[in-house]
Amino acid sequence: MEIMYVMIALSLLMAIGFLMAFVWSIKSGQQEDLITPGMRILTEEIDYPKLNKPL
Amino acid sequence: MHVTETEEMDIITETTCFHCHEACPDEIVHYDEKEFCCHGCKQVYQLLADNSLDEYYVCDVNPGKAPSAQNFEFLNNSHFQAQLISFSSQGVAKVNFHLPAIHCRSCLYLLENLQKLHAGIVKTTLNFGKKDLTVWFQEDEINLGQLATLLASLGYEPLISTDEMQAEKRKQLSQQTQLFIKLGIAGFCAGNAMLFSFPEYLGIEDGSLKHLFGYLNIALGSLAVFYSGSDYFKNVWAHIKLRKMTIELPILLGILVGYGRSVYEVFSHTGAGYMDSVSGLIFFLLIGKWFQQKSFDFLSFERNYKAYFPLVISKLEHGVEANYPLDELKIGDHLIIRNQELIPADAILISGISQMDYSFVTGESEPISIASGNSIYAGGRHTGERIEIEIKKELKQSHLTQLWEQQAFKDPLHKTENWENFANQVGWYFTVGLISVAIIVGIFWLINDPTRWSNAVVSVLVIACPCALAISYPFALGHGIRWLAKRNLFVKDIQAFERMAQVDTLVFDKTGTLTLPSTQKPVEHLRRELSTLEWEALRSLAVQSTHPMSRQFVNYANKQGQLASLALSHFVEKTGKGLEGMVSGIEFRIGNARYTGHQTPKDNDFIRSESQLYLQINGIAVGYIEFPWAYRDGIECMIHHLQGHYRVFLLSGDKKEHAVSLLDWFPDPSTYQFDCSPMDKMRFIQSLQDKGHKVAMVGDGLNDAGALRQAQVGIAISDDHLHFTPASDAILKGSQIAQLPHYLAFARFGLKLIKFSFMLSLVYNGIGLSYAIQGNLSPLIAAILMPVNSISMLLIANLGMNWKGSRLKS
Repeated sequence: MEIMYVMIALSLLMAIGFLMAFVWSIKSGQQEDLITPGMRILTEEIDYPKLNKPL
Repeated sequence: MHVTETEEMDIITETTCFHCHEACPDEIVHYDEKEFCCHGCKQVYQLLADNSLDEYYVCDVNPGKAPSAQNFEFLNNSHFQAQLISFSSQGVAKVNFHLPAIHCRSCLYLLENLQKLHAGIVKTTLNFGKKDLTVWFQEDEINLGQLATLLASLGYEPLISTDEMQAEKRKQLSQQTQLFIKLGIAGFCAGNAMLFSFPEYLGIEDGSLKHLFGYLNIALGSLAVFYSGSDYFKNVWAHIKLRKMTIELPILLGILVGYGRSVYEVFSHTGAGYMDSVSGLIFFLLIGKWFQQKSFDFLSFERNYKAYFPLVISKLEHGVEANYPLDELKIGDHLIIRNQELIPADAILISGISQMDYSFVTGESEPISIASGNSIYAGGRHTGERIEIEIKKELKQSHLTQLWEQQAFKDPLHKTENWENFANQVGWYFTVGLISVAIIVGIFWLINDPTRWSNAVVSVLVIACPCALAISYPFALGHGIRWLAKRNLFVKDIQAFERMAQVDTLVFDKTGTLTLPSTQKPVEHLRRELSTLEWEALRSLAVQSTHPMSRQFVNYANKQGQLASLALSHFVEKTGKGLEGMVSGIEFRIGNARYTGHQTPKDNDFIRSESQLYLQINGIAVGYIEFPWAYRDGIECMIHHLQGHYRVFLLSGDKKEHAVSLLDWFPDPSTYQFDCSPMDKMRFIQSLQDKGHKVAMVGDGLNDAGALRQAQVGIAISDDHLHFTPASDAILKGSQIAQLPHYLAFARFGLKLIKFSFMLSLVYNGIGLSYAIQGNLSPLIAAILMPVNSISMLLIANLGMNWKGSRLKS
């Protein structure tokens, strides 16, 4: 049963890893805007040649 | 099929603008084989086409918005620079604009390709949900003012908010981030604690592992209780200091007793504790908190008078005009006010004549003519030539802003003060009941079997924790808010939703709330038929003016099919009177009765309903056209419906004779009041509340701000500018107002559902208690009963509200 100690430690470490990833994703603002990126795909940049001088 | 004469007649097809898709009202601008309603729209199209951005029109249907000519040069003032620019380094600055006009995929396409329109723009990022655009730009190539002006000229006028509002938004965001992290950690703790409790559930006996699991559970449970649950400690403490008991107290009691008992069991090696249930409960409670936090980022419910006023004022100093932020307004300052600008503080008109439109402040629909030397009041909108005014009172002491000095505005809790929140009401009885049961059970076992008393008391406190209410509450009300938002009623928070369910009195504002100026069916009162030439001449005359009445006349003439423009000479606009001009040697006049030689219908039994435009041709009065205020669709039906269930009142800043037809629906004279000032409206609400009524106010303009604030529920009506409403608890789109009774019924349903699930949870608690009283509550039963209870609360709230919500008519 000694193997259990190793496995518990590993499983906790993995779970903590995911928890850290979650906290990081929140703090870096990845969950702040869940709408725009999806829309952005549909209007992907097509590089038109610049015709006129800007304003 | 038989075709009648009328069907064969020419139908005037309305041309819509290629850019903004609005009907083209006056002259149509042709360009590139496309039609535009104005030169502004044409220019936007031209600009986009020239820069190969015309995919804008293909991305989505109806993307364009009419551009605004607003000049944002004032943003270059250091005050605004410091406020708006969040970051600046090596000549590149970052600024965040709120653009309320954002509405579709094309907006995203255009705004994220802004760098193609101006070389000074480095990069743009759009947050569609919040309608925020972040721009990185080179400061030596384009300045803040030019940037904002460019956005406005494309139809995306930035809304510059005050410092306080921005601080409020930031605070909200950081609270949300905090909650997410707490939620994540609670979920982590609950999941792992359950895993470590498995051997216990299955009855596996292995001494050393069992102890290890116990210690791990304590670590996880401590994190869940003291970090994730920290808000409960803070709230309960705050309430205890106010000598109030809320539903959070028994919850915290349950959590703490469960936690303490578990710690004791683990360290004394007498059991495994309930750490899994405790952290699971915190997880569920936090999910509920997250769910109730529906925020409408694109709306603003908090707004004081400053939000209505211009951000800058143009002061006259030694004959030179200079722009200053509004805060720097002082008594004695001379200001320049242009056409359509608001008066920021009470003042005296120094030079010029003004048609002052106080509809914003008083609800009175007709503008008042003011000559120099007279007083003008804050909140009035000036129409006419440029005027100079001298400030007589400070911003805060103005007639209008005094409203914000009232108690209702200063006390943030006044809406909830005399309001029985169901959860807290029940919470009190629940706490008292629970503690008495625990004491009785403790005393019973102390006498009969002293070894079991502590176990029994702890079990009672843990199992009877009113988490069901704490879960069904946020879910049911949170769903309520979401469903109403889909139907264009945006409720500020779940407390406002609950108050909506308890309202027994409704008060309506008239102008702008029940009536609507834009869908008028004008009535002709002409003494003779006008010839086509005369129509065309009058229309050509009216086109010259921007006065609202002239615009209405032009629209009316267009609908008659009179579209030709004739050459006009000797055109004169007399402010406050009307217009005159010559067409092919004949003099035409439009304007008020006296100016056009009509008998003024004063002091007789002739009831004037709203506004008339009088016409005069060649010196002869020919009659007038009446533009009545129209009622919104379904109003009559709604009022009757509501009168069956509620006490319904009508308030108006207008004179009584302006609303004669409305009075058919309000037969009892005590149910309406006219000539109300903003303060009167507020007092009216207060007097109803003093009689013990729970009042909902439905209004629109700034003139209702006090009443909206005073009422238990203030519902602001808004037509297209959802971003421009007074402070309120809910914002309702004008076209949906007829559905209001259904929305109120939905709120009542939500509260009933909560009461039902509370009853059900009492049954669960009863089952749990029957074990707990005997001191036989095993961790397994607790581990099953508590989640089952929580999940059934979740199911009832979700299914019930979604079923009812999906049946709401849109």
